[in-house]
Amino acid sequence: MPSATGGLEATALGKRFGAVTAVDDVSLVVRPGEIVGLLGPNGAGKTTTLRMLAGILSPDRGRVVIDGLDVHVDPIAAKRRLGFLSGDTQLYQRLSPREMLRYFARLYELDPAHAGRRIDTLIAELDIGSFADRPCGTLSSGQKQRANVARAFLHEPQLLILDEPTNALDVVSGQFIVEAIRRARDAGRAVLLSTHIMGEAEYLCDRISLIHRGRIVDSGPLEALLQRSGRANLTDAFLHYAGAEAGAA
Amino acid sequence: MRFSIVRTILFKELRETLRDRRTLLMTVGLPVLLYPLVILAFTRIAESGEDAIAADKSVVAVWGAVPAPVAAALADSKDLTLQPWGEAPEDIRTGLPTGRYSRLDAGERSAPLLGRGRGTGPREVEPENAVLLAARAAVASRKVQSVVVAWPDTVQEYERGDAAPLSVYYDSVRRESAVAHERVSAALDDARHRIVVERQRARDLPNGFAQGLDVRSRNTSTAERRSGQLLGSILPYILLTLSVLGGMYAAIDLTAGEKERGTMQTLLCAPITSAEIVLAKFLTVWLLSLLSLVANLVSLSMTVSRLLPSDLPGVGLTNLVLALAVLLPVTLTTSALFLACASFARDFRDGQTMLTPVYMAVALPAGVVGLPTIELNAWTAFVPIVNVTLLVKALFLREASTELIFLTLLSACMYAAVAIAGAVHVFHRETVLVGEKTSLRTVFERDGVRGGTPNVGFALTAFAVLLVVQFYGGLSLRALSIPWLLVTLQYGGFLLPTLGMVALFAFDWRKTLALRRPPIVAVAMAVLLGLTAWMFAGGVVGRLLPPPESLTRAMERFIQLGDAPMPLWVVWFVLGITPGICEELFFRGLVFSGLRRLGAGWAVVASALLFALAHASIYRLMPTFILGLVLGTLRWRSGSVLPGMVMHAINNGLIGTLAQRPALAFWFGMQGASGAMPIGPVLVGTAVMVMALGVLKLLRPAADDEPGSPAYDAR
Repeated sequence: MPSATGGLEATALGKRFGAVTAVDDVSLVVRPGEIVGLLGPNGAGKTTTLRMLAGILSPDRGRVVIDGLDVHVDPIAAKRRLGFLSGDTQLYQRLSPREMLRYFARLYELDPAHAGRRIDTLIAELDIGSFADRPCGTLSSGQKQRANVARAFLHEPQLLILDEPTNALDVVSGQFIVEAIRRARDAGRAVLLSTHIMGEAEYLCDRISLIHRGRIVDSGPLEALLQRSGRANLTDAFLHYAGAEAGAA
Repeated sequence: MRFSIVRTILFKELRETLRDRRTLLMTVGLPVLLYPLVILAFTRIAESGEDAIAADKSVVAVWGAVPAPVAAALADSKDLTLQPWGEAPEDIRTGLPTGRYSRLDAGERSAPLLGRGRGTGPREVEPENAVLLAARAAVASRKVQSVVVAWPDTVQEYERGDAAPLSVYYDSVRRESAVAHERVSAALDDARHRIVVERQRARDLPNGFAQGLDVRSRNTSTAERRSGQLLGSILPYILLTLSVLGGMYAAIDLTAGEKERGTMQTLLCAPITSAEIVLAKFLTVWLLSLLSLVANLVSLSMTVSRLLPSDLPGVGLTNLVLALAVLLPVTLTTSALFLACASFARDFRDGQTMLTPVYMAVALPAGVVGLPTIELNAWTAFVPIVNVTLLVKALFLREASTELIFLTLLSACMYAAVAIAGAVHVFHRETVLVGEKTSLRTVFERDGVRGGTPNVGFALTAFAVLLVVQFYGGLSLRALSIPWLLVTLQYGGFLLPTLGMVALFAFDWRKTLALRRPPIVAVAMAVLLGLTAWMFAGGVVGRLLPPPESLTRAMERFIQLGDAPMPLWVVWFVLGITPGICEELFFRGLVFSGLRRLGAGWAVVASALLFALAHASIYRLMPTFILGLVLGTLRWRSGSVLPGMVMHAINNGLIGTLAQRPALAFWFGMQGASGAMPIGPVLVGTAVMVMALGVLKLLRPAADDEPGSPAYDAR
């Protein structure tokens, strides 16, 4: 198994909610400078897997290592190396993006002077300036998600876990986020991306893991997946693994 | 726990909450603006109504012929306008003079229906009859406010020198009718006086012959006390319910509201712990409760005087500060309770639904303060919420004893600690924080796996439950002799619950109760400490903080196990061995192992504090705390509960022996078992104690299987 130093290594993760097995024996590796896609139908266990990887949920079995640190043994240090963003990760309605970024800078215990410069850089890079001082509750979905990206990128994490980050965004806003993800990969960050948009996965991901009913059913570069599934594109391969092809029982 | 992180979250929560108009309105707006306005408007309307009634004359119908002194007295009253036969129907006008209606027909005296024999006196219950119906209709017409009826024999009875029958009809629900009744009664009292004076003079009798007694009642309570009684019946309830309301909305907003807005996950992926989150949110809710409480106090201090009669003073600054201080533990309790319960809700509306019954459960008991017969005493001092409201009332009346204040604050703080432990417990449930579907059963799920040890919350909750059991058990079993009372409370109130909890929650017996073989040196030091610790506690602390004489006498009787001499084996069994086993297994066993997660030093201090508080007396707090520190140190350094048992038994047994054998006490130069000890033995005892503690310090704690120990944490 390749080394995950600077990236993510999850081994044999399992999680149950009562009688329901949400995740079963899931292993993943994301190296620095690589985008790995985690694709699966609704209820496949993606969100639970990502929450365990981000240290929000504790796995019943297995371990998660970020940049050499076990998330559940040393959660504080591990989370410092992690940026988490999801479609339903929201902002504080009564704070402005600038106030929110200052708040998270203090939670990440960044040096105040450095944090100030970093916030100014992110506001410029993500074109947030025009709404940086308006309450987040008054922003559009695209503006909110840009502010959210700034929050996830604020502490310059080695690993980004992105759960459907372009969910419910228009094409322009979605593209803005996609480009930000691509730039993060180019900057050497490890990125784990969950998405329902197959074109986005094809465009961004170096490798793809397909999850179904809580288990990884196939994993590898796009070409290898297509070859093994015998399908021409990712959408067909996805449907094949999800057992949802036309005429499937 | 990083307090800089807690402060960051706290400031952000406060900033966000104070930007929310809904929460701000409930927290500050309601007390500062709304309810003073309501009180002022209400009193203004009531006063203007009263003024109008006072300014107008009461119109009174007089049916039938009244004796001359009565007619004169009614006519002389400046507040009455008389209407002979006013609003009387025709059959009454004709029937009363002819004797068709008589008082005998109209009703008779009956036995009291309510409050039998409690000084309420007989009550007139008149059956429905023609005169009553006619009078009721007349008063209801609002053309007259009251009806005076003279019966066919009224004048005749007056002239014969007997009591002339008269009836006064009025409607107590209508204020102007009730005022008319008061005025008519005053006029009739005047008429009665005139008749009595006239009859005494006719018979050449001295003035006061019919009066018999000249009784003058004088109220000994000062204006401050009367004011305190009125305010004490209202203020604690208003303060508590409104300040709690302020915290309730904040608690919903910070938990269910945060889940609804989807920001809880944002917080959870930051490098912070759930303990830091819960502490910051708890402090936010508590500060907002305090803000609400202060806003209420300030607002009330300016408006409450409107509720008082003009001759009574308003709320003094001292009373306000005392009320604030006493209500602090309750705001801690309710803040934690609300936070824990609201965290189960998925959105704001759900939160309101969940917290409304909790709020009612807090507000309704607080209403007890308005009942004049319920007072702060040993029984009510441990009833949550009720105790604090009664204490505020007692402070207003300046009749709260030091011991009751101590007991009330002790129990209030204890309930607050349990509520906070509960909130922390709930917040450790990740599914609650993430917003997964969670039931209230989650609260009662056990943290530990089979073979584990209790956590801090469990230790505090167990202490709180046992303290209440001990307290009410002690009060209920007062009929027992002292030895039986002690033995019952120790085995039934400490040992059995301790063993029961370990068995029920499947904790590891050895680790939880520290049933390890101790180093022989620790046992030897325990013996030395048992022989000397009481000298330090009695000799040094007793000099610095001498207890009152009454407590000293009560303690002497207690350690003598009653009035009759006891065999020494009974003394050692009841006072020494029994608490040595029962209290040590609970405090240095179960409680200590729960607190051990805080670190050894904190576990020693906290278990000693709980041990001292369990003795439920402010004067015994310091000696028992010191004893608890020594016992906790023994438990920590030896890794075992057994040396503490030895020391506790010897310490208590020796004190009991001195009480039974005064000659031995005199040998130490003491005047009785609880008398002051000469400085010589005190210094020797203290030196030996310090030496024994020093030897214990040299012991390396051997137990590496305790939560909180470095070896345990490194696994």
